[in-house]
Amino acid sequence: MARTMVKKTFLTPLGKDNPVFVQILGICSTLAVTNKLANTMVMVLGVMFTTALSSWTISLFRKQIPTRIRMMVETLVIATYVIIVDIVLKAYNPEIWKQLGPYVGLIITNCIVMGRVEAFALQNKPSLSLIDGLASGMGYGYVLLIIAFVRELFGSGTIWGYQVLGAWWTKWAIMVMPPGGFFMLAIFIWIVHEGVLKEGKNG
Amino acid sequence: MKSQTFYAKRIHPLVFMAAITIVCILLTAALYLMTRERVEKNELFFLRRSVLDAASVVHGGDVESVNTLYEAIVTEQGDVYRVATPTGDSYVKIFKGPGLWGEITVLVGFEGDLKTLSGVSVYAQSETPGLGARIEEPWFSQQFKGKEGPFSLVEEGTASSTTEMDSITGATRTSDAFKNIMNRAISESATLRKGE
Repeated sequence: MARTMVKKTFLTPLGKDNPVFVQILGICSTLAVTNKLANTMVMVLGVMFTTALSSWTISLFRKQIPTRIRMMVETLVIATYVIIVDIVLKAYNPEIWKQLGPYVGLIITNCIVMGRVEAFALQNKPSLSLIDGLASGMGYGYVLLIIAFVRELFGSGTIWGYQVLGAWWTKWAIMVMPPGGFFMLAIFIWIVHEGVLKEGKNG
Repeated sequence: MKSQTFYAKRIHPLVFMAAITIVCILLTAALYLMTRERVEKNELFFLRRSVLDAASVVHGGDVESVNTLYEAIVTEQGDVYRVATPTGDSYVKIFKGPGLWGEITVLVGFEGDLKTLSGVSVYAQSETPGLGARIEEPWFSQQFKGKEGPFSLVEEGTASSTTEMDSITGATRTSDAFKNIMNRAISESATLRKGE
């Protein structure tokens, strides 16, 4: 029983209740940071760290936190973890930190983090909340990485900074600009809904 | 009984919030203090690497080689960095100007005649990644070496004379902003040796 629960908690955010293509959350950063794979990866790790640990922390204190101020506490805890990510990145990987600019700080406003805390961590055990947070971060992450892969390939002719398409390739400037993110995300959501989630909808 | 509800309703949330705020601040402050030295070292490394790049001095790219080389050949004269290169002294200065989204900080290096550019290095920028942000890529900054300006923009990959610079396709506004910073640097270049 407990094991199926863990499995369900882990798999739901990756598939049928994915934060990006089902709940349509965290779109802002999905559009903003997905024009280079390396940057996207750092962003994804930051979000995974934040969702997992803030869910865990809030769940740990869920019985002590006064209901009236729970959102303030949640925001504060999330902000603390994001600042930790920001400081660590600034100290240990300053090149990427410079490129991501304000987006690391903006993890605070990623609705997925707050969403998981509100919807899951307040009602569940810390260990399960940690898994839920981590899986939500991963569900967000793999969608971003797929989009980043396509955008970097068509937009810059590179994968992870390495040139894969030769000089003959005309770079699609639109792919690296915000509109490219909109198009890719919309196409991705469309494909997933038409191809993968179709049977579930009729039921 | 009544006072207890008052406490639970009004006072307890305040106390709780204050306590958790203090904990969070202590945590982040401690982490900040722990990493401050490292962050300052990173900043210094980036600046020194940019100075060497702007003087077109070849370096190993890692912290140690950049610092050793910098301390051996660079003298700071006010806001001008004098770099001793095998072919004579180069003069590097920081120039800032508005880009498309935010400020662009560029280190511009001149050779001893204060006319010929020894190199250019972008230190800080917040242009569109993949488009305007390509001003940070080597092909863009290296095109200035040996040129004199003042510059006019030409299509990407076609600059040939000493007063032409490649623009970036799809980043007209950034290219334009960069050209302005370069031309301002060139117009001020004669003052770089005043510290001597």
